[in-house]
Amino acid sequence: MTEAQARPLPYPVGSQSPQEGLKDLLAKAVPGGLLTFGATATDLDVTVPPADLLTLVTTLRDRPELAFDLLRNIAGVDYETDMALKYHLYSLKHGHALQVTVPTTSGHPHVPSLTSLYPAANWHEREASEMFGFVFDGHPNPKNLLLEEDLHIHPLLKAHPLAKVEILQGIEEGPPGFKF
Amino acid sequence: MTHWPETTTPVLPPDDLNTVDMTINIGPQHPATHGVFRMVLTVDGELVVDCEPYIGYLHRGLEKLSETADYRQSMGWWDRTDYLAGMCCEMAYCMAVEKLGGLEVPERAEYIRVIMAELSRINSHFMFLGAFGTDVGVLGTTFTYAWRERERIYDLFEEVAGDRMFPTYLRPGGVSMDLPENFEQRCRWVLDSARQGMEDLDGMMTGNEIFVERCRDLGPITPERGIALGLSGPMLRATGLPWDIRKAEPYSIYDRLDFEVPVGRQGDVFDRYFVRLAEMYQSMRIVEQCLDQMPKSGLVLNPNLPKTLRIESGECYIRTEGTKGEYSVYALAKGGNKPYRMKLRSPSFCNLSGLREMVVGTYVADAIVILGSLDIVLGEVDK
Repeated sequence: MTEAQARPLPYPVGSQSPQEGLKDLLAKAVPGGLLTFGATATDLDVTVPPADLLTLVTTLRDRPELAFDLLRNIAGVDYETDMALKYHLYSLKHGHALQVTVPTTSGHPHVPSLTSLYPAANWHEREASEMFGFVFDGHPNPKNLLLEEDLHIHPLLKAHPLAKVEILQGIEEGPPGFKF
Repeated sequence: MTHWPETTTPVLPPDDLNTVDMTINIGPQHPATHGVFRMVLTVDGELVVDCEPYIGYLHRGLEKLSETADYRQSMGWWDRTDYLAGMCCEMAYCMAVEKLGGLEVPERAEYIRVIMAELSRINSHFMFLGAFGTDVGVLGTTFTYAWRERERIYDLFEEVAGDRMFPTYLRPGGVSMDLPENFEQRCRWVLDSARQGMEDLDGMMTGNEIFVERCRDLGPITPERGIALGLSGPMLRATGLPWDIRKAEPYSIYDRLDFEVPVGRQGDVFDRYFVRLAEMYQSMRIVEQCLDQMPKSGLVLNPNLPKTLRIESGECYIRTEGTKGEYSVYALAKGGNKPYRMKLRSPSFCNLSGLREMVVGTYVADAIVILGSLDIVLGEVDK
């Protein structure tokens, strides 16, 4: 049995840089005051409109001082009057994390797909799409993932009733404004 | 593709042989899929040309349910996500609620949580060793050995929490009750037994040349590709990247503990197996250090907890190192006694999304082994 050769690592992991400097780095990388900064209890937050999402994330991924190489999570949120997508990015190289918030309208808002930048976005976007009704432009396989394939409901919307199988089966009327 | 020996004269030249791709459905009720998971393989002879995973058979609407219940009522649903390591899931959920509500956890409770989480990790990896051995063809032997040790850990959980698989032991602000009197002695006995069981399994699997030859160089993944696919946990560490959230972004009391992060060499199936085996030793080290360091008495639940927890507003993304990878919770509160939104980032879900890339180009029998090496838990994939 031959000893397998260890592949060289892309970079040493765990070389932590302080999280505080991240805001300055971002402001320098994206000039013109395009970004709106905020903070959650755990992370720095950046708000960006859907039209600028691809440009911003490409910058975040490709600038060596930012190097956000891991897309951890995509979470949709329904605020009833409008909706939002939360992208959680992480840099293994620098050890810093960022939340990108993309506010959208209600209904079926169009958001560019990140699958060309991060293959990991594929299933996250399919999930957000079926649960909330987001439309990801450029997604290679925009089918339902967790729900049945021909079921076009968006259960995580606040308007969706929790437990009313009767509505699904057509025995009862749904609440006003609620349509399958 | 087919190699014709020179001594025989083929009826047709190989280039004109039209082979038809065949579609094979595996699952959702199939022992090798470790639950209700279905994949449709397109095969050319024995070679896998395409693989389409179908999930959602166990979707219980965890996130929707969490929005409708009190912060403490949801606990019982969250340990049903990764049902092999319920304590790890409860810990992530509780940490999210504590972050939003600004609750403090007593020191003794933090140690108890880490002990429980690491015992769960050992338990879950035992399950992997047993089931993976069965996938590869060591048949039931590894399964019975692994099961014996898992039973002992579950017995310990029952003594502590009153339940084996779904303990619902943790609470936002601590744990529900103190440890039983003879816990330390019992825990050390369980660890000794588990160590012996691991050595037996190690000998049966790593010492078995057929097993090693079956797993080595199968489905390798480079570190760059692993990051792009969103892999985490042992799957990513097998590629050689020492990324462990317990080290990279320490939470709870992990920064006080001395342990190492085992990594693999080339991210193949054998490395994934071996990283998990090595991790179990590290988990045992952690539990032993916790037993030595923890305060011998004291509160285990924050005494200032309100009767009903109401959180005005807040948003957080809590990450923990689950047994399968990054088990994270995105939580959003907008007043009231219920969360406005809870999102689970489940590691098996993300690891499984990379399955197609690992499986295409291998043989059908290897596809089962690669799926086994992902160590998925369908409760966590489907939420």
